[in-house]
Amino acid sequence: MERETISVTVNGRAYERAVEPRRLLSDFLREDLRLTGTHVGCEHGVCGSCTVMMDGVTARSCLTFAVMADGADIETIEGLGTVDAMHPVQQAFWEKHGLQCGFCTPGMLMTAVELLKANPDPSVDDIRDTISGNLCRCTGYQTIVESIQHAAKLMREDGP
Amino acid sequence: MKPARFRYLRAESVDDALQALADNPDAQILAGGQSLIAMMNLRLVKPACLIDINRIWNIGYIDEEGDGVAIGTLARHNDVKHSPLIRERCPLLTEAYESIAHHTVRNRGTLGGNLCHADPSSEAPAVMIAVGATLELMSVHGKREVGAEDFFLGTYETARRQGEMLTEIRIPGRGADGWAFAEISNRHGDFAIAVIATTLRLANGRCEVARVVASGVGEHAARLKPAEDALIGRPIDDARIDAAAAAAAGAVDPHSDSHADAAYRRDAIAALTRRTVSRAAERCG
Amino acid sequence: MSDRGHIPESRQREKPRADLQWIGKSMKRVEDPRLLVGKGIYADDINVPEMAHAAVLRSPHAHARIVSIDASKAEALPGVLCVMTGADAAEVCDPLPTWASPPVLQAVIAHDRVRHVGEAVVAVAAEDRYIAEDACDLIEVEYEPLPPVVDPEEALTSTGDAVLHPERGDTNIGLERTLTFGPVEEDFAAADLVIERRFRWPRSGGQPLETVGAVASFDEGAGRFTIQCNTSMYNYCGWMIASTLRVAPHKLNIVPTLAGGSFGSKMFVHKVPVMAAVLARAVGRPVKFMEDRIDNTTSCDNHASDRVYYAKLALKQDGTLLSLKTRIIDDYGAYLQFGVGQHGNALSQCVGPYRINSVEVDLAAVLTNKCQQGAYRGFGSEVANFVIERLVDAAADELGVDRIALRRQNFIQPDQFPYLIPTGNMYDSGNYQAVLEETLKLADVEGWRAKQAEGRKEGRYIGIGVASCQERSVFSATEFWMWNLEPGVEWTSSPDGVSVKIDPTGKAFVTLHSPFWGNSPETVAAQVLAEQLTIDPSDIEITYSDTDQGLNSTGPGGSRFTVMVTGAIVGAAGKIREKLLRIAAHLMEADVRDLTLEDGAVQVKGVPDMKMSIAELADKAHYYRLSMPEDLDLTSGLDATYVYDHPVTTLPDPDERHMGIFYPIMGHSCHIPVVEVDIETGQVHFLHYAAVHDCGTMVNPMTLEGHIRGGTVNGIGTALFEEFSYDEAGQLTTALWTDYLIPTIKESPADIVVGHVETPSPFTEYGVKGGGEGGRMGGPPAIAAAIEDALKPLGVTIDSLPLPPSKLRALIREAQARSA
Repeated sequence: MERETISVTVNGRAYERAVEPRRLLSDFLREDLRLTGTHVGCEHGVCGSCTVMMDGVTARSCLTFAVMADGADIETIEGLGTVDAMHPVQQAFWEKHGLQCGFCTPGMLMTAVELLKANPDPSVDDIRDTISGNLCRCTGYQTIVESIQHAAKLMREDGP
Repeated sequence: MKPARFRYLRAESVDDALQALADNPDAQILAGGQSLIAMMNLRLVKPACLIDINRIWNIGYIDEEGDGVAIGTLARHNDVKHSPLIRERCPLLTEAYESIAHHTVRNRGTLGGNLCHADPSSEAPAVMIAVGATLELMSVHGKREVGAEDFFLGTYETARRQGEMLTEIRIPGRGADGWAFAEISNRHGDFAIAVIATTLRLANGRCEVARVVASGVGEHAARLKPAEDALIGRPIDDARIDAAAAAAAGAVDPHSDSHADAAYRRDAIAALTRRTVSRAAERCG
Repeated sequence: MSDRGHIPESRQREKPRADLQWIGKSMKRVEDPRLLVGKGIYADDINVPEMAHAAVLRSPHAHARIVSIDASKAEALPGVLCVMTGADAAEVCDPLPTWASPPVLQAVIAHDRVRHVGEAVVAVAAEDRYIAEDACDLIEVEYEPLPPVVDPEEALTSTGDAVLHPERGDTNIGLERTLTFGPVEEDFAAADLVIERRFRWPRSGGQPLETVGAVASFDEGAGRFTIQCNTSMYNYCGWMIASTLRVAPHKLNIVPTLAGGSFGSKMFVHKVPVMAAVLARAVGRPVKFMEDRIDNTTSCDNHASDRVYYAKLALKQDGTLLSLKTRIIDDYGAYLQFGVGQHGNALSQCVGPYRINSVEVDLAAVLTNKCQQGAYRGFGSEVANFVIERLVDAAADELGVDRIALRRQNFIQPDQFPYLIPTGNMYDSGNYQAVLEETLKLADVEGWRAKQAEGRKEGRYIGIGVASCQERSVFSATEFWMWNLEPGVEWTSSPDGVSVKIDPTGKAFVTLHSPFWGNSPETVAAQVLAEQLTIDPSDIEITYSDTDQGLNSTGPGGSRFTVMVTGAIVGAAGKIREKLLRIAAHLMEADVRDLTLEDGAVQVKGVPDMKMSIAELADKAHYYRLSMPEDLDLTSGLDATYVYDHPVTTLPDPDERHMGIFYPIMGHSCHIPVVEVDIETGQVHFLHYAAVHDCGTMVNPMTLEGHIRGGTVNGIGTALFEEFSYDEAGQLTTALWTDYLIPTIKESPADIVVGHVETPSPFTEYGVKGGGEGGRMGGPPAIAAAIEDALKPLGVTIDSLPLPPSKLRALIREAQARSA
């Protein structure tokens, strides 16, 4: 079986692994690195659950081969914050009930983080545009928008 | 839902990619992968070999060229969408991007990949035809140019030949005064049920040049000449707009699928033609 | 009223009160931190040593005989561990569990015959999922096509080769019968007006973001299976899986995982755990089978109601509603997992919030070449809501009266509760007028009527819809079998249990015996236990049992869980409180009657100095037995279990004059959407959306609102976009999420304004009612009404869903052609 050796940095840690070219980045993260916080919902690019950060911008890990990430800097939900030290976006989703089953949440959070990096004070329309590619079946989205607005406020208050 | 095996080649330069294409007749180019990988996951396609062009550093540009724009094939959708140069020189494309896919897909997906994929309900092909774009194709044997209008031949089928790679998309300086894009999809960001991209030029109050281009209603994006003929040479008033809309609806022979039936697509084409022509005419000032 | 049965005494212990400390608070969820940091363990996150992966080759045909299978190439593929056909599987396992009576036999892997596109034909276990799928590609199957049965009304007359289950007779009718409740013929004879409509409710599905998955292992030494799975009901009827696997029930342990959403779809999953288990036993290694999205859309357990209604509503000229008759053809697909439980469910509130004297339901449950039905947010009652609301709208239009006024006129009045409807089910309490008035206020209907009139002058089509819907909660098991002619699974219990313990340091542990499937069981348990023991929720830890440890628990579904967990916690906490007081009485040398539990301490009333904290008492309870009196009940420790039975349910009448009380904890909602329709394109935009729900005493308003909004967007999906659509050949044309259209944020209203009315239940602890499904049960009829209202100038009638732009435009086109 033909394999390619790739080097990636995930959540600040360097990994070198041999992978089949067809291995999806989602499977690489979840199975090879056991970072199961990134979820797989549809595997054909519709739901956004598998969204991770790749070199600073979001990517659908089910529509990315792991070999394409060779040399990349990847961030997943596991790198965002911990239960004791949540990222403001995580904190805001908790406070504003931005999740129910939690399955879309990691993808939603990564997308929100990317938005807030580029736009510290997004309008409701900005938020709706940005997360329109992330399906949530539980919340009806309204509290997700409120969560992201609240996160923006927390991050602005925190200052750079 | 996992892709079948394939050989993986990574190109570091355009020459690299062209040589790989020449050496591997069974290869396909992997750009952003946002359509290709989804189809591979579903095993709807099983390419034997992929040539990854994502590392080629110098084909993601968006540059001035004369009074037009040259876009490298690997320019990501979001870069094109947010480019001030595109907004200034090809605002029709900027407008179209409001309807194209979703943010994260646009981060990775490329304009060149989209055009080569030639999905029959894709938006960008209609825009390229409407603005008279030229596509540059290269192979180890050299390069050639194909007008966007001649590039799209069928469902997932283009004029790109074996061994060729789309390298650049050239959009001429503003050839039209008025432009408008409109789309109907069931959900925002989905592939279109129907698209119309319209460009107009007026002279002395009469329509001198008109392009009315449809997508989603045939095997590929195409001009609706009867609709254009209904406009050319006349002032654009409500009666002309209605005539163009009727002509547009008559010019398409759409299919039915789970998203919409043929009758709907025809109605949609009429409505979108009316709306885009009207808005394009307003923009002509 | 005796024909409608009797109402038992209430067993409520805790009355609703104004001074509650935790119940009624929008407390942040206990479940969230681990989910927010990516540390929740869902089914696909489980990884055990030596684990193999399964993939399934599925039928490309809707209906065919399997002539031959050649799997030799697949078996030869390196990395393949096992290739299992239906014939192989039949040697090691029995048919899947079913509530249908007589049963409809369903194999985990089809043999001899496939009955729908996507049905499992061959299963493969391999070193990884990629190889397993490669192997599926190498299997050659020869089929002999049989006639596909796709149209439910045509299925009524199928014979011969078109019959799916010939062993049940030469018919595709799974069950057909008529139930009559009250003087239907007399009421129709007395009517001045009969509204007659045909309705079409589309096949949709819960489609949570997470599919169904299981990791199974077989311990050969112990002869025992362990299956980790995102299923519910494992402590209620998980043993049925053991029967399928041909092991004794104690030779199977089902361990729940978090579920990434359910909406009913994971109520009792059967195919996936059985598939993983048979493969695990065959290969001698643990096997993970995780459905991919196509596995799920084509062959899940849970496509939802797919019904044709011929409905008649009889009424007087003065607007008094009299009687309802419906002929229903329900397309169940190829199998009947829950029998026709969806129609038991629909009988619970088929008259809506209205005084309707009699009801007749004529049901034909047909079997067709489609994926089977299961549960989805409403479980059949959402369709009944659509039907009654559409009929009432039609009646108002026919009489020329205001749709809202006709509702008000016919509402069951607040002083009429508890109220038995003709089918025998009880509505425990309600105040429908109050909910309506509150919604009208939030929706600013007056204001929108003015904008509608203005808009019409400009050629804009704005519409306002009103639906007043029942929101039954807390099912009783009788709903699953009340339609059966022959005895099948005739259970009458549907309890939920909890185990509670206070450790020596005073921390509380709650074990739930049903899973997390997206709602907030841990938060509910923490809030109620905190209320009961006057402790802080952060001092409570919640875990889930497996079947080895489990108490009888039906689990979430039918909006049961908040009511049932609350009841169980009250029961268990009561025992613990009693023990705390007895220990405290002994240690403080006080009379038990002089003690109270306040702020986490047992206190002698009126003597502030005399108190002992729960932690102090727990320490004594655990470690100082010899300081206690010789009382056999004062065993060391501080723990209790409690299985809370359904708060109020009765048996169906043997003569079927009524079906007993089976779904009595009756919430209510009013939805008022304001939409604008683009008549050229058929696109619908929400301009406003107001929804008021009455779910009795609220445990957590924030999470209830989450359910209401989320359910409403599910309802928008059902009303406008979602459909599992089969073509004439029985191909599922919407198997991908590019085609099965779940609303994105762009299709969802930016602001669903939610309001509450609280009419406590007199039967449940604290008066809590369930509220998990109401959004989807109220949205569709309200949206249909709003669209119809918008298009009133064109005379468009809405009786079929969904209404994507193409379908709505077709109705507009027809109306325009009629008027031209």
